[in-house]
Amino acid sequence: MHYKNSEEYEPISYVPHVESHGTSEIWRTLTILTVLTVVDIILYFTMPLTGFRNFIFIVLGIVKAYYIVASFMHMKHEKIDLAACILVPLLFVLGLIAGLLYEGNFWLLNP
Amino acid sequence: MTSNSASASTTKTWSGGRSPYNVSYGKLMMWIFLLSDAFTFSSLLIGYGAVRFSYPKAEPLAQEHVIKPMSHVSHEFIEEMKEIGAFSEAHWPSPDLVFNHFPFLHGLHLPLFFVSLMTFILIFSSVTMVLAVEAGHRMDKTKVRNYMFYTILGGLAFLGCQAWEWTQFITAGCSLDSNPYGPAQFATLFFVVTGFHGFHVFSGVVINLIIYINTIIGTYEKRGHYEMIEKVGLYWHFVDLVWVFVFTFFYLI
Repeated sequence: MHYKNSEEYEPISYVPHVESHGTSEIWRTLTILTVLTVVDIILYFTMPLTGFRNFIFIVLGIVKAYYIVASFMHMKHEKIDLAACILVPLLFVLGLIAGLLYEGNFWLLNP
Repeated sequence: MTSNSASASTTKTWSGGRSPYNVSYGKLMMWIFLLSDAFTFSSLLIGYGAVRFSYPKAEPLAQEHVIKPMSHVSHEFIEEMKEIGAFSEAHWPSPDLVFNHFPFLHGLHLPLFFVSLMTFILIFSSVTMVLAVEAGHRMDKTKVRNYMFYTILGGLAFLGCQAWEWTQFITAGCSLDSNPYGPAQFATLFFVVTGFHGFHVFSGVVINLIIYINTIIGTYEKRGHYEMIEKVGLYWHFVDLVWVFVFTFFYLI
């Protein structure tokens, strides 16, 4: 359903036809998310409290986020332009992390 | 696309007569909304981090006080922890000692068990949602209806768990301005962030119910496509995505 000329094309009602990709990818993603969460739980009970442990938890969180966005939210089947349009602005979050977390321990409550 | 130069392809993409991103208007707007929501949750979680790391960490418990999972049964757990200095105004409490309850197992020290259950509930309800979307692509009305039903059940189960968690927290004496575990901001941020997320889950369940009813009465069958399931699905997965980070920052770290 691709409109050839601008007379036919109505932006508001345009809905591209999407083919089913089958369910195998869904089960694979479920397995990955479950395994990563179980790894989280195992590390929580076995690793000593260190900054490195927190680092692993954050990395695992980002990996889980990748699989949810790419597979469940279909982002890897979208055009790269759309993915960039949504994902690149998230770089601003890094600015906020630098501003609040990196400096937070000295400008906030306990000088 | 059979263009022979980059500028020709750009002109074709953006000169009208087609959808540049090849998505519907509604789906693009859902993505933009989720982007703004992602900023909101990032701000909340980073704000949480800033306040949390402005306090010193809780020291690990001394060897004689270490509590093994399944072992501890006491009704004065909070008082005991205060006496040995594990809970104090001067440092951030360890989540290990705060979120250690499980329904029907009162008094047992079970850190992380309940939130792990909540995490799996939300992951599974995300999976049934994506299965509903897939069934929608095949115009399989019965499957869409069944999977939407399971998704709503998952959402309600999650909300029930959160209500239980909040009740536990409130009956322990936590409010927006004070709590027995340590700095006041600990409970404040817990209520604000999990409350904001929980309200998203609640809205998601309501919207899921609406599209579930629409599926049953055949609205999307008549329309010729099940794209509404996809758009609501995006929102539902986003709620799951946020929970991954709430789980990481509130409970694991």
